[in-house]
Amino acid sequence: MTKKKYEFAEDNFFLSRRKFMVIGAAFAAVIAVPVGWFSSKLAKRNDYIKARSAGLYKDDTIAKVRVSHGNPAITKYYEEFGGKPLGHLSHDLLHTHFVDRTKLNS
Amino acid sequence: MTATTYQPGEIQGLIEIQASKCKGCDACKKFCPTNAIQGASGAVHSIDKELCLSCGQCLINCPFNAITENHSALETVIQKLADKNTKVVGIIAPAVRVAIGEEFGLGTGEIVTGKLYGAMNKAGFNIFDCNFAADLTIMEEGSEFIHRLHANAKGEANAGALPQFTSCCPGWVRYVETRYPNLLPNLSTAKSPQQMAGTVAKTYGAKVYDMQPEKIFTVAIMPCTSKKLEASRPEFNSAWQYHQEQGANVASYQDIDAVLTTREMAELLKLLEIDLATTPEFEGDSLFSEYTGAGTIFGTTGGVMEAAVRTAHKVLTGKEMAKLEFTPVRGLDGVKTASITLYDTELSQDVTINVAVVHDMGNNIEPILRDIMAGTSPYHFIEVMNCAGGCVNGGGQPINGSGSSWVGNI
Repeated sequence: MTKKKYEFAEDNFFLSRRKFMVIGAAFAAVIAVPVGWFSSKLAKRNDYIKARSAGLYKDDTIAKVRVSHGNPAITKYYEEFGGKPLGHLSHDLLHTHFVDRTKLNS
Repeated sequence: MTATTYQPGEIQGLIEIQASKCKGCDACKKFCPTNAIQGASGAVHSIDKELCLSCGQCLINCPFNAITENHSALETVIQKLADKNTKVVGIIAPAVRVAIGEEFGLGTGEIVTGKLYGAMNKAGFNIFDCNFAADLTIMEEGSEFIHRLHANAKGEANAGALPQFTSCCPGWVRYVETRYPNLLPNLSTAKSPQQMAGTVAKTYGAKVYDMQPEKIFTVAIMPCTSKKLEASRPEFNSAWQYHQEQGANVASYQDIDAVLTTREMAELLKLLEIDLATTPEFEGDSLFSEYTGAGTIFGTTGGVMEAAVRTAHKVLTGKEMAKLEFTPVRGLDGVKTASITLYDTELSQDVTINVAVVHDMGNNIEPILRDIMAGTSPYHFIEVMNCAGGCVNGGGQPINGSGSSWVGNI
């Protein structure tokens, strides 16, 4: 048998349609993995902040008392020692002043 | 005479970049609220300490762990714990209880209050929950707000500036102090919970503990690096001043003697071979561990406002809020706003209070400050926290290596 020869050989510089599809799909898959990986990283990057906040809101929900003025220890503090909010002792101990730091020198 | 942004005695340049580890990747710059980080891309970066707020956001987001703190009280605290003549009081911030577990293999956001009390009790601390001081802050700051609101409504002289800003966040306070001194009157004069806790521990606490105040050593456990700078402010020795006026005559001491970050507290427990994850729960040893749900949410953005609204509602109307959850101020939007209309029994009329909550300060605060200075701000009360998400994401918290810091803030 003699080998059949085509008069017009396919230009081997271009890939066949089939090969092009295979390589293209492989390329897309390789690209898609990091895109998915990055976008999920991005979407989840603040999850730890949300989880910690959710923890505090849960702590609020399970608390026996949920309003500051209802804290019996606070009532006791003012009765036994502090007087009342914005009172004389509060002014001395629980309030402060601020510093204009544009005018400081060393 | 050279200009400085520090008072004598304050911890300066707390946050430092190690030249040997810095790759010049610029990730830190995206997190700096004051553009304090210098150096071209690819070159070693450095921090301008005069601009730096010590917030530590760059530190927790550096992909190369190249940023450190130049001050740690860990050794001192361990020595004090071993000293039988000293009463060491551990003051635990709200956000620590939902993060320190991560350092011991527990889940992110898991509440470990009881275990933390137990572990610290084992280490020799007396328990003082900073949430108690947060409740105290609401009593003082909330009363101050209502006072300013009424005084302004009645047109009194020296009524106090509105909007009133919260003053719990040391990064935010230093930001106003270094950039907008004309807005200092808008800051609530109430001390931060940390400073209230230290002062109360050494005044009322001295009676509760039946202990001389100079033998009480207060250690604040904070999600925050800037709290170290705050504790070192020279004016924060009010307990000492109080006792001097009562006739004591001893050398000056600070209200807060030492600050440990959440990370450093975990390190201390590990050094003392205490495993927080397996420690039995402990209830606390004094009234200072009694706290409310309002105090605990201080650690997240919007929490101070929500706690304040709950108490302001009760004070103004005489009634508790029907639904305590005040959802408009929750979540991670950069600026959250809400309006509350309620019947004010003192003014005998309906009043509408406009509030705003700002976090991730560097990216969100400027337009609000511009409106206030232009006199067009609609707000009466504004909560500001430097860090994105509030203290739960503070510069002293366990580092969450999500590897995405190059993207920038929230």
